[in-house]
Amino acid sequence: MRVTRAVITAAGRSQHALPLQRVVDRDGVPKSILQIIVEEALRAGVEEICVVVAPDDGPAYGAAAGELASRLRFIEQEEPRGYGHAVLCARAFVGDAPFLHLVGDHLYLSGTARGCAQQLVEVAQAESCAVSAVQPTRESLLPYYGVVGGRRVSGRADLYAIERVREKPTPTAAEQDLIVPGLRAGHYLCFFGMHVLTPLVMDILEHQLTMAGNASIALTPALDALAGRERYLALANLGRRYDVGAKYGLLTAQLALALDGNERDEVLAQLVELLALRR
Amino acid sequence: MSILTDIITSPEAEVRNRSLDAFCRLATLGELQIECTALDTLRRTSDNLYERVRACFFLYAIYRFHMPTKAGVQAAGLLPFEGYTHLLSRRFEESIAVFQADIGNTPTDALCSALAAAYHRLAFQTLADQVRRSVRSVRGNQWMFRVGHPADQPLRLRPELLRQYPTPGTNVLSYPILFETTPVRMDLSHSGWSDIFFLGMDFPEGARVLNVSIDLGVRGRDAKPRPPVEAYLRVIDEPLLRLASIDLGATADITDLAEVFDFARDYMGLLKGALIASGIVPPGSEGSGASLAELLARLVGPGRGLELVSNVNGIPKGSRLAVSTNLLAALIAVCMRATGQAASLIGQLTEPERRLVAARAILGEWLAGSGGGWQDSGGVWPGIKLIRGELTAEGDPEYGVSRGRLLPSHRVLGADEVTTTTRERLQQSLVLVHGGMAQNVGPILEMVTEKYLLRSEAEWQARKIAIGVLDEVLAALRDGDIGWIGAATTRNFFGPIQTIIPWASNHYTETLIEETRAAFGEDFWGFWMLGGMAGGGMGFIFEPSRKTEAQDFLQKLMSTTRQRMEHAVPFAMEPVVYDFAINENGTFAHLLYGEQALLPPGYYALVAPAMLRADPRVLPLQRRAELDRFGAACRTRPEFAGMVQTLFDRLLPRAQRDEASGQTLEALLAENGFDRVQHEQIRADLRRGRIGLAQNRLPASTEIRDVEQGDVADATHTLPESVRAVGAQALAAGEVAVVSLAGGVGSRWTQGAGIVKALNPFARFGGRHRSFVEVHLAKSRRVGQAAGSPIPHIFTTSYLTHGPMMLALADALDTNGRPYGYAGPLLLSPGRSIGLRMVPMARDLRFAWEETPQQILDVQAQKVRESLHTALIGWAQSAGEGNDYSDNLPQQCLHPVGHWYEVANLLRNGVLADLLEQQPQLRYLMLHNIDTLGADVDAGLLGQHIESGACLTYEVVSRRIDDRGGGLARVDGGLRLLEGLAMPREEEEFRLSYYNTLTTWIDIDGLLEVFGLTRTDLRNDEPVSQAIRVLAARIPT
Repeated sequence: MRVTRAVITAAGRSQHALPLQRVVDRDGVPKSILQIIVEEALRAGVEEICVVVAPDDGPAYGAAAGELASRLRFIEQEEPRGYGHAVLCARAFVGDAPFLHLVGDHLYLSGTARGCAQQLVEVAQAESCAVSAVQPTRESLLPYYGVVGGRRVSGRADLYAIERVREKPTPTAAEQDLIVPGLRAGHYLCFFGMHVLTPLVMDILEHQLTMAGNASIALTPALDALAGRERYLALANLGRRYDVGAKYGLLTAQLALALDGNERDEVLAQLVELLALRR
Repeated sequence: MSILTDIITSPEAEVRNRSLDAFCRLATLGELQIECTALDTLRRTSDNLYERVRACFFLYAIYRFHMPTKAGVQAAGLLPFEGYTHLLSRRFEESIAVFQADIGNTPTDALCSALAAAYHRLAFQTLADQVRRSVRSVRGNQWMFRVGHPADQPLRLRPELLRQYPTPGTNVLSYPILFETTPVRMDLSHSGWSDIFFLGMDFPEGARVLNVSIDLGVRGRDAKPRPPVEAYLRVIDEPLLRLASIDLGATADITDLAEVFDFARDYMGLLKGALIASGIVPPGSEGSGASLAELLARLVGPGRGLELVSNVNGIPKGSRLAVSTNLLAALIAVCMRATGQAASLIGQLTEPERRLVAARAILGEWLAGSGGGWQDSGGVWPGIKLIRGELTAEGDPEYGVSRGRLLPSHRVLGADEVTTTTRERLQQSLVLVHGGMAQNVGPILEMVTEKYLLRSEAEWQARKIAIGVLDEVLAALRDGDIGWIGAATTRNFFGPIQTIIPWASNHYTETLIEETRAAFGEDFWGFWMLGGMAGGGMGFIFEPSRKTEAQDFLQKLMSTTRQRMEHAVPFAMEPVVYDFAINENGTFAHLLYGEQALLPPGYYALVAPAMLRADPRVLPLQRRAELDRFGAACRTRPEFAGMVQTLFDRLLPRAQRDEASGQTLEALLAENGFDRVQHEQIRADLRRGRIGLAQNRLPASTEIRDVEQGDVADATHTLPESVRAVGAQALAAGEVAVVSLAGGVGSRWTQGAGIVKALNPFARFGGRHRSFVEVHLAKSRRVGQAAGSPIPHIFTTSYLTHGPMMLALADALDTNGRPYGYAGPLLLSPGRSIGLRMVPMARDLRFAWEETPQQILDVQAQKVRESLHTALIGWAQSAGEGNDYSDNLPQQCLHPVGHWYEVANLLRNGVLADLLEQQPQLRYLMLHNIDTLGADVDAGLLGQHIESGACLTYEVVSRRIDDRGGGLARVDGGLRLLEGLAMPREEEEFRLSYYNTLTTWIDIDGLLEVFGLTRTDLRNDEPVSQAIRVLAARIPT
């Protein structure tokens, strides 16, 4: 299995401006969030990238992508029919090949020379199956994430076979269905916003869209169905993710980038100065 | 290997189910001691919960029932105070160690009783701990114990409840109301109490019940049956928890997290339990000091809170239909739905959700310090279901600990098993009633647990038969044969149920059955007891064509029987006949919005008066809009009809009258000779601290010693024939009368229901239930007949008991016009004094609870009790310490004034004078408490009294662990019966060997001499009253 295509979703009507925000990257270069995400995908060996956007957002995104714009293809999600539908919009682009999927409002830091997406794609190619990046997360954060339940793959500390997937479960449901042996009490494997998916997901989404009538469809039920139909793994501990859309999310992401980059000392000095000024 | 440990540990069911009694009956003291050592080792070393618990129960039974009967055990002995204090503090291991070190090789009756008590409590504590551990470790419950900070709260309110809807006619938006209705449950077979958690975990194969969810309506009041239990939840625009219990008529606004865990502070225990057990206020946050507003902000949004309301549609608690548990389950279900812990916001729940609600109801009951059986939350499930215990399997929290799981499995019986026609026939045949009796099933459940775990022979056999009855009922349901069900449940009630617990039945219930059978003959198909004991929830099964007639008949029969027995049997309410229907939904929720977003009428009766009194301008917008909706509903919706009258009554309360007698408190006091001057003197003394609990104590310098040789005559062995002859001669000469103290209403005994204890038909003798009066008269008759001279029998009465006693005796006349056929003189000695209750002094409450040793309760129950104590002290202070207590029914504000006056009354009311005139040879009285069944006019004891020449002889017994409250002592050298509260130090009591039974032999002339009177003075009021006053002043209060 070889992953050469990536799908970035950025069509959420309330958050479509987020990938356009600009931050200073690890090398001290100002870039849009979109650029950083695209670079993450390219580092993973992806050759073609499609961005699913809201109607009329293509030009703005093209501008935000800068010199990478030529490598992107924009697909508009005509109607706001949910996250699952946004992914499904890329069906023709993906064809019968596996693809890397990233969300447009998250930034990732691996803390190593190899990017998060790169590691994920390597595992997916080695295992020849769908793999989602996950992060052990405290139960108090369950209202924000999709959560997977399953068991550890023998001999691998960071790889799990996914048995079920639930969107924003209550802790009650999580405790009954999603406990993963080996994790700390009260911790669950929550999605990291990064997946390598097989084309079967598109079939499932298509089916769900038909069944849903005019309603929106989410991605999580499709991933849950995927777990029931083919081998589906979760890869943990890739690094840190930063949700740009959360309160102070952009600020936190910027700080994380800066403190991980070449200008760490300078940023630290400014932070210390700010702390010293604090009354 | 020890025989008894073999019984406990054997893998063979036949060996494991062998009875302890059979072995102990034949064993010698030495053999029992060896077995006790082996059992104690087993309970300390075994990893298996049930081996440990059964070993404890075996040890309890041996020390309590078997060892004291063996030769070699000393009757009298002392108890080590240290062991007792360990016991009070629930340090059972330590107390057992102390008692065992003392018992050595020469066991005493006292130490046996102490060890029995310690093992008994240890057994129940171990079981309760396991239930608690299991319920906490149920998956889905664990997380709640980890959440300690508002930021950790992972629950969020469902968005549907945060969406606001317009109220028609106004521009105010309001939140919708989530409304849960839940049926109650009835047990179609009586499970032989097998649904007690401990028993299901011990013997899951035997834990099976047939449980039906039902809607109820009170016949004649409600148009049709409906789910009796309701819970409501909505968002409010204030950062607090607003709780309302319509059934208890109480509301509370909670702004402090600690208050949620304060269960006895108000009447909101069940609602608080639900909030905690559903994770809205996670149990892990107890004591965290976190802010409730912050927690609610996380859950509902900043500045918002929740309102939770409970309602029971006029069905009493204690109905044996598990109203409380199902109400708790409804509250938990509504909270779980609101926070997304149930997939569906409205409609039915799924099976895993129901199981979780049931598990959390157990948790909530434990938190609120109550408890029920595992079938009690059956109303959460629909229709008819078979609930059974499950063997544990790997992965269960109970695996390797007990044989059965904490939670049973539920199988809902479909139409293929019980057809719709059969269900209809059941509804057409069964008359469901509440007999109205007040009940306390706690002790019964404890006894059942004990008997089952001991595998007592008769009870164990009975249990097996009861299990067979369930199969019969199941088969009858499949065949659609309702008559067969009636036959089976009747057999169950008169057979196994009463073999296991004779107290499950009572005089009232059996009278109802007997008269129903007489009236309906073959068309009365059977009786069926619901829950722990009879007299409350009961079923009578009839030929369907006669059901309506039977309903009318039973309503009348129960009312008249209740009136006839109301002084003898504790009733909590007027009996009712229910209309019922099988509920095929189980717990079910609706969402009410817009103009439908109203709480039930009872809610507005509670809260509207305050809202109406308030200035409309200060009412929050939402409250005003709600008043608008409520006003509109009063005009248009039939269930709100009559609300105007209700509100009017609430706004203008009326003076309280005694419903039974129609009398005011003042009239009652005047009628019963209340002494206002003395009352004011007591109040002044109390408030100034001249009298009080602490003042009862003797000075610390007082020397208290055990009795000396010669102070107590040993009557535990057969007394010499010459002594008996003296007594027999006095009996034959008609020199003896009996005085039974019957002024009490058994308020502790009936948990406040208040009946004439003397008239309570407490047990079955010679085939029927008989009262204390009848039993004591029978004993006097036997002695009188043997002596050839009838014994005069006096019952002392009080303002509470005199009238009913007169009626009861008049009712019991035989053909010769003699009550209970009693041949001797039979007299009532009416009381001549009455007291008015006062609000207690806070210092006395503190003294009672904080400065005297108290039995510490199980950890959660103790918390509830401490909260109650704080609340009561607060009440005393706010109500005014020492003020008259008048905020209750007038009868409840009065109190009798104590035992001493019973003797004084005999002198004052002329009863003794009359008797002496009638029987001048009379010289002795035997006085005893009405419930001292062992009191007997024994010729030997009488002879002993006569020979001693004493004025008073008290019957004392060697002390056992439960005999608390004083004893016989040498106080500063003088012999004295000392009250417990007079002891300068608690431990002094444990140096006293003997406990007073209050059975007293009195030399009449000697007693008169103490009063400074002679027989001839008794006809003269003035010297008698004067003598009583003088002596009363010398009696310690």
